[in-house]
Amino acid sequence: MRLPLLALLAKEPAHGYELKSLLEQTFGQAYPSPNIGQIYVTLQRLERDGLVKSQDVIQTTRPNKRVYELTPAGREALAAWIEEPSEGPRVRDDFFVKLALSPLAGVTDQMALINRQRRHYLNLMRGLSKLASATDRDSRISLLLIEGAMLHLQADLDWLERCQEELM
Amino acid sequence: MRAALRWIRSDLRARPFQVAVEMLVVGGVLTALLLSVTVLEGATNPWAGLFAQSRGAQIWMRLAPGTKVSGLRQIGGVTAIAGPYSTTAATIVQGPLQSAVELRAMTPAMPQIGRLLVRQGSWLAPSAPGGVVLEASFAQAIHCRVGSELVINGIDGPTAKVRVIGIAATSDQGFYPDQTPGLAWVQLPLLRRIEPIARHTEEVVGIRIANSADTSFVAQQAVAELTGAVRSVSTWTQVEQSMARGDPLLGLLLALFGLVALGGAVLVIASATGGRVLVQLEELATLKTLGFTPGQITAMVVAEHAGVGLAGASLGVVATRYLTVPLLHGIPASIVPAVVPLPATWIVLMACSAEFLVVLAAAFPGWRAGRVSAVVAVRRPLPAGHLSQLARVVMLSRFPPAIVLGARAAFIRRLPAALTIGGLAMSMAVITIGLGVASTVDDVQRHPANIGLAAALTVSPGELSQAQAGAIVSGDRQVLSAYPSVQVNALLATGTTTITTLGLGTSARPYPFHVAQGSLYHAPGQAVASQGLLDLLHLKVGELVPMQINGVPVIFRIVGRIVEPEYSGQVLAYGLDTLSQAGVVSPPVYYSLVLRPGVTVSAARRHLLAVSGGRLDVTEVNDPASQLGIIRPMLAGLIAVLALVGLVSVLTASSVGIRDQLRDVGALRAIGLTPRQVMVSMVSSTTALAVIAIATGATAGFMVSTRLINLGAQVYGIGSGIGRPPSAPAMAAAILIAAAGATLTAILPARRVVATPVATMLGP
Amino acid sequence: MIARAVPQPAPSADEMLLKIVGLSKVYKGGGPPVHAVRGVSLSLEPGQFVAVMGPSGSGKSSLLHMLGGLEPPTTGQIWFDGARVDGLSQARWAMLRRRNIGFVFQFFNLVSNMTVADNVELPALMSGATRRQAKERRIELLAELGLSDKASASPARLSGGEQQRVALARALANRPSLLLADEPTGNLDSLNSADVLRVLCRVHGQGQTIILVTHDARAASMADRVVNLFDGMIIDDMDVVTPIRPSVAAAGVLRLGE
Ligand SMILES: Nc1ncnc2c1ncn2[C@@H]1O[C@H](COP(=O)(O)OP(=O)(O)O)[C@@H](O)[C@H]1O
Ligand SMILES: [Mg+2]
Repeated sequence: MRLPLLALLAKEPAHGYELKSLLEQTFGQAYPSPNIGQIYVTLQRLERDGLVKSQDVIQTTRPNKRVYELTPAGREALAAWIEEPSEGPRVRDDFFVKLALSPLAGVTDQMALINRQRRHYLNLMRGLSKLASATDRDSRISLLLIEGAMLHLQADLDWLERCQEELM
Repeated sequence: MRAALRWIRSDLRARPFQVAVEMLVVGGVLTALLLSVTVLEGATNPWAGLFAQSRGAQIWMRLAPGTKVSGLRQIGGVTAIAGPYSTTAATIVQGPLQSAVELRAMTPAMPQIGRLLVRQGSWLAPSAPGGVVLEASFAQAIHCRVGSELVINGIDGPTAKVRVIGIAATSDQGFYPDQTPGLAWVQLPLLRRIEPIARHTEEVVGIRIANSADTSFVAQQAVAELTGAVRSVSTWTQVEQSMARGDPLLGLLLALFGLVALGGAVLVIASATGGRVLVQLEELATLKTLGFTPGQITAMVVAEHAGVGLAGASLGVVATRYLTVPLLHGIPASIVPAVVPLPATWIVLMACSAEFLVVLAAAFPGWRAGRVSAVVAVRRPLPAGHLSQLARVVMLSRFPPAIVLGARAAFIRRLPAALTIGGLAMSMAVITIGLGVASTVDDVQRHPANIGLAAALTVSPGELSQAQAGAIVSGDRQVLSAYPSVQVNALLATGTTTITTLGLGTSARPYPFHVAQGSLYHAPGQAVASQGLLDLLHLKVGELVPMQINGVPVIFRIVGRIVEPEYSGQVLAYGLDTLSQAGVVSPPVYYSLVLRPGVTVSAARRHLLAVSGGRLDVTEVNDPASQLGIIRPMLAGLIAVLALVGLVSVLTASSVGIRDQLRDVGALRAIGLTPRQVMVSMVSSTTALAVIAIATGATAGFMVSTRLINLGAQVYGIGSGIGRPPSAPAMAAAILIAAAGATLTAILPARRVVATPVATMLGP
Repeated sequence: MIARAVPQPAPSADEMLLKIVGLSKVYKGGGPPVHAVRGVSLSLEPGQFVAVMGPSGSGKSSLLHMLGGLEPPTTGQIWFDGARVDGLSQARWAMLRRRNIGFVFQFFNLVSNMTVADNVELPALMSGATRRQAKERRIELLAELGLSDKASASPARLSGGEQQRVALARALANRPSLLLADEPTGNLDSLNSADVLRVLCRVHGQGQTIILVTHDARAASMADRVVNLFDGMIIDDMDVVTPIRPSVAAAGVLRLGE
C-alpha cells in the first residue's frame, strides 16, 4: 500500500481521506479499499522513513487536517518502483497441493475434487460477470481489473482441465 | 421456395461470367442443332417448309383459257383458291443455251395463297413492267442472278429482253431440272407481248384444302366440277416426292455433329454443376443446418442450372430465328433448295429436349448436393492430397517449386480433375476429328478424282451423231480425256434386284476411278464395285457376280473396290468392251470428260456448247464435293461450341482449385512466395490438367479420325478410303490455341486471388 | 423477441423441451471406431440456458450435432417437445430445424454470396413467410443487434463479431424453441465475444432456451447450468449460482500489490 500512496501524492499533496477516496475512485468496487486507519498507519511509516512530510492546515469550521506531500527521497523511491519490473504472477494454489496430495490423504475421488473446484471457479466467474455488468463503463481501471481476474480464472479452469486430462 | 429463389438469385449474381458461358453453351448447341436440322430438312424434305411458308395449295390444275373457277370454292374441304393465273410456255435464250420456261402472269400484289418466297431481289413491281422473277432452283441451274439480262422467246416468235429482278422459291412444283420447264413469273402485259394469242395460254389454279389427306378426293371433285376444261392436275405428293432427296453425306455429318454438340452440352452442364456444387459444399451444408431438406437442395441446384439452361435455350431459339436466313443464305440451292425456318413446334420440341438434357445433366450433381452432410458446414476437412503418379513425376523432375505446387494441387480432388480432363479431352478429340473432316473435304475438293469424280462434265450427242460428238469432245483443247460411257440397269441373277451399272472407258483405257482396294478393270469381264454394292450383295473383291444386261447374261469378276459417292454408293463399273464381247446391244453412249488441270467446268461447258453450236447436251456432274463446302461453316460452329465446352471445363477446374488452394496460397505467401510465384502456382495447377487433357484428346482424335471418317463413308456406301488425317499445321495451331486458351482462362481467377490481401486468406 | 412464460420450478417430464436418453455416437470408417459420445442422458426445461464444456475432442460438437439432427446418433433416444425425433429422416429433421432449432457455429457459416439482409431473411422465407414478413423480422433483428447499417453489406466485409451477430440474427429469425451454439466465441477476440455473449444473455432473458458449447468459462458462467463432458461422458452437471458478494471475488482471484 506504501507505493500506491506515494503515487497518489506525486500529483499533489493530500490528506488521508482524500487519498482513500482517490483509491476507491481508481479501483472501484472490484477491489475492497483499505480503511482509513490503515492509510494513516502507512502514512506515518512513510513519514518516519523520510519519504513524505506533513503539515497541519488550520481550518476554521472543522478540526485541523494533516496534509501530506512527497519529499525528494519519496519521489526517488516512487521512480525506482515504477521502473523496476514487477515480479511475475504469484499463484498461491492451495488447490493444486490438495489435488497432488489427496491420494496420500486417502481421497480416492479426485474427479469430485476437480469438479468441486470447477464449480467454485465457475460461480466466481459468474460473480465477476455480474460485477462487470454492474460496473460503470467509464471506470476503465475497474473493468480492467475485473477482466484480469476473469482471465486468471479462465487460466485456472484451463489448468484444471489439464489436470483432469492428465490425472484421470 | 422463396428462400431457394433468393439463394439462386444471389448465386447467379455471384458468378455472372460462368453463368453467361453456360448459357452460351446451351444456346450455341441448340442453335447449331436447329440450324443443322434446318439444313437437313431443307436439303432432304424442303416441301413441307416451303408449303407452310408460302401458304401453298395442295392441288394445281391447268385449265383451258377462260374457264370459270368460282365453283371450286363450293367443294367441301376447300379453304381457298390461288389464281387463276395465265401461263404460257416460252424459251429462255442465253447465248447458245436454250431453256424451256413456263411464264406465269401475276400481279405486284402478292396473293394470300400460294405466295412466292422471295429469296433475293424483289417481287414484281409496277415500276418494273419488264422484270421477271425466276424460281430459285431454275435460276441456279441456268446461272442467273438478280440483275441478269435474259432474252425470252415466245413459241410463235415474239422476243422480249427482260431483266431478272428477283429469285423466289415456291411449293407449287418440284425443283429444276427434276421438273421442267423452269418457272418464271412476269406481269400480264409482258406475258401478252411474248404470247399475244390468248388461245395459246393456259390458266393455272391452285386449290388449298383444309386437310391434305383429302387431296385426291377433292382433286376428283374439282375435275368433275370443271369437266372438259381441265388439261392436267398435279398434287403436293408429286411435288414433295420430286423435292425429296436423301443426302447421306450431309445427313451423316449433321448427325455426327449434332450428337457431339449435345454430348458436349451435357458434359458442360454436368461439369459446371458438379464443380459449382463442390465449391459450395459448405454453403449447401449450411443451408441444411438452416432447415433445407435434401430434396429441396437437389431441386434448388437443378432448378438453378435448369434456369440457366432455359435462358440459354431461349437465347438459342431467338438466335435461330434471326440467324437462320442470313447464316444459311449462302448455301447453294443445289444443296439446300429451301432454307425454311423450322416450324415452331419443332423448335419448341428441340428446345424442350435441350432443356431436358440440361436437367438430366444437372440431376446427378444436384443429387450429390442433396446428400452433402450438414456437418461439413462445421467440420471442414480438406481432402487428403493423393499424389498422382504424374504429379510425382512432375515433382521429381526439376521444375520450379511454384509449378510443382500448382501441379500437385491439381490432383487433390480426383473426380473434378477427371471431369475437367474428360471434358477438355473430349472437346479436343472432336476438334481433331473435325480437322480430319476438314482436311478430307479439302482433299476431295482439290482432287475430286479421289472419290471417283474424275469427270467434271458429261456430254450426250444431243442433236449430233455419236461420232460427231466423239470427235468434238476428244478434239477439245480443254479436255484431258473423254471416256465413252453408258449407264444401264442390270438384273441380278436372283431376279429380284436391279442395280445401276456403268460402262466407263474400255479395259485398255479404263476410267480413272479411285480404287480403294484391288485394281481397276483391265480385261473384259472384270468390274469394280463400290462399297454400297458390295454390302448390298454381300460380296467381296475377287468374287464373281452373274447378271443380265438387256436380257443378255453377263458374269463379272469384281477385281476392285472404288470410292463412289453417287447412286447411293451402289454401282458396278466395267469397260465398254465387256458389253460388246458379251453381245449386249449397246445403249446410247455419252462421254465422261476429264478436264485439263486449271480449266473451270463452266468455261469448258461454254466452249463445248459454242463449238457444237449448242447442239451437244453438256451437263455438269453433280459434284458432292461442292456440297461439302457447307461443312466448313458447320465445322467452325462445332469448334466454337467445343471451345466453349473446354472453356467451361477449365473455368470449373480453376474455381474448384482456387477454393482448395486458397488457404495454402495464403500460407505460402506468408512464408515468402512472391505474388508472381503464387500466380504461376495457381495457373499451373489448371494448366497441368489442360495439358494432359489436350494431349490425350489430340492423340485420341488423331488416332480415330481417319478411321471414323472412313467408317462413316463405308456405312453410307461411299466406301472406305476417303479419310485424311488432320493437317499438321492445323493440329499444331489447335493444340497451341487450346493450351494458350486454357492458361489464359486460368489466369483470370488467379489474378483475383493474387490481388487478395494475405491476411484475408489466412482468416477463417 | 419471444415473450415466453417463465418456466415453472421442477417441471414434470412432459414439460421438458428436450430429453436425451443414453445417447452415443461412434464414428466408423477408416481406422479404429471413435467413441465420440458415450451414453449421455440429459433433460432440458424450456427457457433454460445450458453450457456444455469439456476439453477439445470430448464430444461436445458431436452431441450438439445429434441434438440438431445434423448427424444421427448411433444409439439412444432424443425427445423434442414430447416427441421422439432420433429416428426422423433427414428431411423431417430439416423441417424441425427450420421452425424449432436455430444453429450458430464457430465459423459463422454465413452464405457468402448473399447480403446480410438476405442471410437473415432466409429462414423466415424458408418457413413460408411472405417477403414482407421476412423483411420486417429482419429489420427488427438487425436493429436489436446493432447491425441496421450493415443490411446490404456482404458478409465478407464484416468483422468476425459482426458476422457472428448476423449468424445469431439468422438463427433467431424463426423464433426457434431451441438455440444451439457451438463455440460461437471460439473465433472472436474478447470484445467481440462480449458482444455476442451479451446478445445470448439478452435473448435468454427473454425466455430463449439455449445450449451453448463453449470453451470460454466466461460464456459458460452466464448459463444457468453447466454440463461438463469428458471423453464422451457427462462428468459434471451443475447449476451456476451467483456468489453472495461478487466484489470479494475479484480480490480473491487477483491480489494487488504485496
Ligand atoms: N466425422 C468424424 N469421423 C471420425 N471421428 C470424428 C468425426 N467427427 C468427430 N470425430 C471424433 O470424435 C471425437 C469428438 O469430436 P467432437 O465432437 O468434435 O469434440 P469437441 O467438439 O468436444 O472438440 C473426436 O475425437 C473427433 O476426432
Ligand atoms: Mg467442437
